[in-house]
Amino acid sequence: MPYPRKDLLLSTMVAVIAAALVILHFFDPATSGIFPPCPVRYLTGWYCPGCGSLRAVHQLLHGNLRAAWALNPLTILLLPFLVYGTASYALFELRGRYLPRLFLPAIWIRALCAVIILFGIARNIPFHPFELLAPAGVLHP
Amino acid sequence: MFCSQCGASNADNAVICAQCGRNLQAAVSLPAQQGSLVQPSGVYVQNYLVFAILTTVLCCLPAGIPAIVYAAQVNGKLQAGDIAGAQEASKNAKMWCWISASAGLAVVLIWGFLVAIGTLSNLNR
Repeated sequence: MPYPRKDLLLSTMVAVIAAALVILHFFDPATSGIFPPCPVRYLTGWYCPGCGSLRAVHQLLHGNLRAAWALNPLTILLLPFLVYGTASYALFELRGRYLPRLFLPAIWIRALCAVIILFGIARNIPFHPFELLAPAGVLHP
Repeated sequence: MFCSQCGASNADNAVICAQCGRNLQAAVSLPAQQGSLVQPSGVYVQNYLVFAILTTVLCCLPAGIPAIVYAAQVNGKLQAGDIAGAQEASKNAKMWCWISASAGLAVVLIWGFLVAIGTLSNLNR
Protein backbone atom coordinates (compact mmCIF):
# COMPACT_ATOMS: atom_id res chain seq x y z
CA MET A 1 0.00 0.00 0.00
CA PRO A 2 2.06 2.97 -1.18
CA TYR A 3 -0.73 5.52 -0.68
CA PRO A 4 -0.54 6.35 3.08
CA ARG A 5 3.22 6.84 2.73
CA LYS A 6 2.74 9.14 -0.24
CA ASP A 7 0.10 11.16 1.58
CA LEU A 8 2.50 11.52 4.51
CA LEU A 9 5.32 12.61 2.18
CA LEU A 10 3.07 15.12 0.41
CA SER A 11 1.60 16.63 3.55
CA THR A 12 5.09 16.88 5.07
CA MET A 13 6.29 18.61 1.90
CA VAL A 14 3.40 21.10 1.91
CA ALA A 15 3.86 21.77 5.65
CA VAL A 16 7.63 22.33 5.29
CA ILE A 17 7.22 24.69 2.32
CA ALA A 18 4.40 26.63 4.03
CA ALA A 19 6.36 26.91 7.30
CA ALA A 20 9.49 28.02 5.43
CA LEU A 21 7.55 30.71 3.54
CA VAL A 22 5.85 32.01 6.72
CA ILE A 23 9.17 32.15 8.60
CA LEU A 24 10.86 33.80 5.62
CA HIS A 25 8.07 36.35 5.37
CA PHE A 26 8.30 37.49 8.98
CA PHE A 27 12.03 37.16 9.63
CA ASP A 28 14.59 38.78 7.35
CA PRO A 29 17.64 36.48 7.10
CA ALA A 30 19.77 39.63 6.67
CA THR A 31 19.03 40.94 10.16
CA SER A 32 17.49 38.12 12.19
CA GLY A 33 19.77 35.69 14.02
CA ILE A 34 17.52 32.67 13.71
CA PHE A 35 18.85 31.59 10.29
CA PRO A 36 22.10 29.62 10.22
CA PRO A 37 24.94 31.20 8.26
CA CYS A 38 25.82 29.56 4.97
CA PRO A 39 28.30 26.81 5.93
CA VAL A 40 30.44 27.47 2.85
CA ARG A 41 30.67 31.20 3.62
CA TYR A 42 31.26 30.49 7.32
CA LEU A 43 34.06 27.97 6.76
CA THR A 44 35.82 29.47 3.72
CA GLY A 45 34.74 33.11 3.59
CA TRP A 46 33.64 32.62 -0.02
CA TYR A 47 30.19 33.17 -1.46
CA CYS A 48 28.55 30.01 -2.76
CA PRO A 49 26.02 29.98 -5.63
CA GLY A 50 23.20 30.01 -3.07
CA CYS A 51 24.42 32.86 -0.85
CA GLY A 52 21.69 35.48 -0.62
CA SER A 53 18.95 33.14 -1.84
CA LEU A 54 16.98 33.12 1.42
CA ARG A 55 17.27 36.91 1.72
CA ALA A 56 16.16 37.10 -1.92
CA VAL A 57 13.06 34.98 -1.23
CA HIS A 58 12.32 37.19 1.80
CA GLN A 59 12.48 40.31 -0.39
CA LEU A 60 10.36 38.61 -3.02
CA LEU A 61 7.66 37.81 -0.43
CA HIS A 62 7.56 41.54 0.27
CA GLY A 63 7.28 42.39 -3.41
CA ASN A 64 10.79 43.78 -3.78
CA LEU A 65 11.84 42.12 -7.01
CA ARG A 66 14.73 44.54 -7.49
CA ALA A 67 16.27 43.82 -4.08
CA ALA A 68 15.71 40.09 -4.57
CA TRP A 69 17.47 40.23 -7.94
CA ALA A 70 20.42 42.05 -6.38
CA LEU A 71 20.81 39.43 -3.66
CA ASN A 72 20.85 36.38 -5.89
CA PRO A 73 19.90 36.70 -9.58
CA LEU A 74 20.40 32.96 -10.19
CA THR A 75 17.74 32.03 -7.61
CA ILE A 76 15.25 34.45 -9.17
CA LEU A 77 15.90 32.98 -12.64
CA LEU A 78 15.50 29.39 -11.39
CA LEU A 79 12.48 30.06 -9.17
CA PRO A 80 9.80 29.74 -11.91
CA PHE A 81 11.24 26.34 -12.90
CA LEU A 82 11.36 25.20 -9.26
CA VAL A 83 7.77 26.32 -8.58
CA TYR A 84 6.50 24.69 -11.77
CA GLY A 85 8.39 21.46 -11.06
CA THR A 86 7.07 21.27 -7.50
CA ALA A 87 3.50 22.04 -8.60
CA SER A 88 3.74 19.43 -11.36
CA TYR A 89 5.04 16.81 -8.90
CA ALA A 90 2.35 17.59 -6.30
CA LEU A 91 -0.44 17.52 -8.88
CA PHE A 92 0.80 14.19 -10.19
CA GLU A 93 0.90 12.67 -6.71
CA LEU A 94 -2.53 14.07 -5.79
CA ARG A 95 -4.48 13.55 -9.00
CA GLY A 96 -2.31 11.14 -11.00
CA ARG A 97 -2.21 13.71 -13.80
CA TYR A 98 0.73 15.63 -15.11
CA LEU A 99 0.94 19.26 -15.84
CA PRO A 100 2.69 19.23 -19.21
CA ARG A 101 5.95 17.81 -17.89
CA LEU A 102 9.15 19.51 -18.88
CA PHE A 103 11.82 17.15 -20.10
CA LEU A 104 15.14 18.94 -20.18
CA PRO A 105 17.68 17.34 -22.54
CA ALA A 106 20.76 16.16 -20.62
CA ILE A 107 22.95 18.82 -22.25
CA TRP A 108 20.73 21.59 -20.80
CA ILE A 109 21.07 20.14 -17.30
CA ARG A 110 24.86 19.89 -17.67
CA ALA A 111 24.91 23.50 -18.89
CA LEU A 112 22.80 24.53 -15.90
CA CYS A 113 25.25 22.73 -13.59
CA ALA A 114 28.14 24.63 -15.22
CA VAL A 115 26.25 27.94 -14.89
CA ILE A 116 25.68 27.31 -11.16
CA ILE A 117 29.38 26.52 -10.57
CA LEU A 118 30.63 29.44 -12.71
CA PHE A 119 28.19 31.80 -10.96
CA GLY A 120 29.60 30.62 -7.62
CA ILE A 121 33.16 31.37 -8.79
CA ALA A 122 32.39 34.66 -10.55
CA ARG A 123 30.64 36.29 -7.60
CA ASN A 124 33.81 35.89 -5.52
CA ILE A 125 35.99 37.84 -7.96
CA PRO A 126 36.47 41.14 -6.13
CA PHE A 127 36.36 43.63 -9.00
CA HIS A 128 33.93 45.09 -11.51
CA PRO A 129 31.76 43.68 -13.08
CA PHE A 130 31.93 40.37 -11.18
CA GLU A 131 31.37 42.03 -7.79
CA LEU A 132 27.85 42.91 -9.00
CA LEU A 133 27.04 39.19 -8.71
CA ALA A 134 27.88 39.07 -4.99
CA PRO A 135 24.85 39.29 -2.66
CA ALA A 136 23.52 42.86 -2.83
CA GLY A 137 26.47 43.77 -5.07
CA VAL A 138 24.21 45.79 -7.34
CA LEU A 139 22.75 47.79 -4.45
CA HIS A 140 26.04 48.41 -2.64
CA PRO A 141 28.79 48.51 -5.24
CA MET B 1 8.39 3.11 -12.12
CA PHE B 2 5.14 5.01 -12.57
CA CYS B 3 2.47 3.77 -14.95
CA SER B 4 2.20 6.13 -17.92
CA GLN B 5 -1.56 5.58 -18.10
CA CYS B 6 -2.86 5.85 -14.54
CA GLY B 7 0.27 7.05 -12.69
CA ALA B 8 0.26 4.22 -10.12
CA SER B 9 3.64 3.31 -8.65
CA ASN B 10 4.86 -0.14 -9.71
CA ALA B 11 7.97 -2.22 -9.08
CA ASP B 12 10.79 -1.26 -11.46
CA ASN B 13 10.66 -4.67 -13.20
CA ALA B 14 6.83 -4.93 -13.32
CA VAL B 15 5.42 -6.17 -16.63
CA ILE B 16 1.89 -4.83 -16.24
CA CYS B 17 0.56 -2.05 -14.03
CA ALA B 18 -0.93 -3.45 -10.81
CA GLN B 19 -3.71 -0.82 -10.88
CA CYS B 20 -4.89 -0.49 -14.48
CA GLY B 21 -3.24 -3.45 -16.22
CA ARG B 22 -1.38 -1.42 -18.85
CA ASN B 23 1.61 -3.20 -20.36
CA LEU B 24 4.58 -1.37 -18.88
CA GLN B 25 7.23 -3.16 -20.92
CA ALA B 26 5.64 -2.12 -24.23
CA ALA B 27 6.15 1.51 -23.32
CA VAL B 28 9.83 0.82 -22.61
CA SER B 29 10.55 -0.27 -26.15
CA LEU B 30 9.24 2.93 -27.76
CA PRO B 31 12.00 4.80 -29.56
CA ALA B 32 13.33 7.97 -27.95
CA GLN B 33 12.63 11.31 -29.57
CA GLN B 34 15.57 13.65 -29.80
CA GLY B 35 15.43 17.38 -29.23
CA SER B 36 12.00 17.31 -27.67
CA LEU B 37 10.80 18.80 -24.41
CA VAL B 38 8.39 15.91 -24.05
CA GLN B 39 9.36 12.73 -22.21
CA PRO B 40 11.14 10.57 -24.84
CA SER B 41 9.41 7.27 -24.11
CA GLY B 42 6.26 6.26 -22.26
CA VAL B 43 8.29 5.55 -19.15
CA TYR B 44 8.73 8.19 -16.52
CA VAL B 45 11.99 8.08 -14.55
CA GLN B 46 12.24 10.71 -11.82
CA ASN B 47 15.46 12.74 -12.10
CA TYR B 48 15.00 14.76 -8.87
CA LEU B 49 16.31 17.88 -10.66
CA VAL B 50 13.99 20.27 -8.82
CA PHE B 51 14.97 18.78 -5.45
CA ALA B 52 18.66 18.91 -6.44
CA ILE B 53 18.49 22.59 -7.44
CA LEU B 54 16.52 23.43 -4.29
CA THR B 55 19.18 21.92 -2.02
CA THR B 56 22.01 23.47 -4.03
CA VAL B 57 20.68 26.99 -4.39
CA LEU B 58 18.52 27.42 -1.30
CA CYS B 59 20.65 25.45 1.17
CA CYS B 60 23.88 26.34 -0.65
CA LEU B 61 25.40 22.89 -0.22
CA PRO B 62 27.99 21.44 -2.61
CA ALA B 63 26.42 17.94 -2.27
CA GLY B 64 23.66 19.18 -4.57
CA ILE B 65 26.10 19.34 -7.51
CA PRO B 66 26.50 15.53 -7.87
CA ALA B 67 22.70 15.29 -7.61
CA ILE B 68 22.38 17.63 -10.62
CA VAL B 69 25.01 15.65 -12.53
CA TYR B 70 23.06 12.43 -11.92
CA ALA B 71 19.82 14.19 -12.94
CA ALA B 72 21.51 15.00 -16.27
CA GLN B 73 22.52 11.33 -16.56
CA VAL B 74 18.91 10.21 -16.02
CA ASN B 75 17.67 12.34 -18.90
CA GLY B 76 20.68 11.51 -21.09
CA LYS B 77 20.08 7.77 -20.69
CA LEU B 78 16.34 8.21 -21.27
CA GLN B 79 17.17 10.03 -24.50
CA ALA B 80 19.37 7.08 -25.49
CA GLY B 81 16.57 4.64 -24.61
CA ASP B 82 18.56 3.10 -21.73
CA ILE B 83 15.77 2.76 -19.17
CA ALA B 84 17.70 0.54 -16.72
CA GLY B 85 20.66 2.96 -16.77
CA ALA B 86 18.30 5.89 -16.20
CA GLN B 87 16.76 4.13 -13.19
CA GLU B 88 20.24 3.48 -11.76
CA ALA B 89 21.20 7.15 -12.20
CA SER B 90 17.85 8.13 -10.68
CA LYS B 91 18.73 6.20 -7.51
CA ASN B 92 22.07 8.02 -7.27
CA ALA B 93 20.40 11.39 -7.88
CA LYS B 94 17.93 10.63 -5.07
CA MET B 95 20.74 9.56 -2.73
CA TRP B 96 22.74 12.77 -3.29
CA CYS B 97 19.60 14.89 -2.86
CA TRP B 98 19.03 13.32 0.53
CA ILE B 99 22.71 13.69 1.52
CA SER B 100 22.48 17.36 0.60
CA ALA B 101 19.14 17.88 2.33
CA SER B 102 20.30 16.02 5.47
CA ALA B 103 23.46 18.11 5.64
CA GLY B 104 21.28 21.23 5.39
CA LEU B 105 18.98 19.95 8.11
CA ALA B 106 21.99 19.13 10.33
CA VAL B 107 23.28 22.71 9.94
CA VAL B 108 19.85 24.10 10.84
CA LEU B 109 19.57 21.84 13.91
CA ILE B 110 23.11 22.59 15.13
CA TRP B 111 22.50 26.31 14.64
CA GLY B 112 19.17 26.07 16.48
CA PHE B 113 20.95 24.26 19.34
CA LEU B 114 23.63 26.96 19.53
CA VAL B 115 21.02 29.75 19.46
CA ALA B 116 19.07 28.00 22.24
CA ILE B 117 22.22 27.66 24.38
CA GLY B 118 23.10 31.30 23.74
CA THR B 119 19.61 32.42 24.77
CA LEU B 120 19.70 30.31 27.94
CA SER B 121 23.12 31.60 29.01
CA ASN B 122 21.91 35.17 28.44
CA LEU B 123 18.91 34.50 30.67
CA ASN B 124 21.10 33.12 33.45
CA ARG B 125 23.42 36.07 33.43
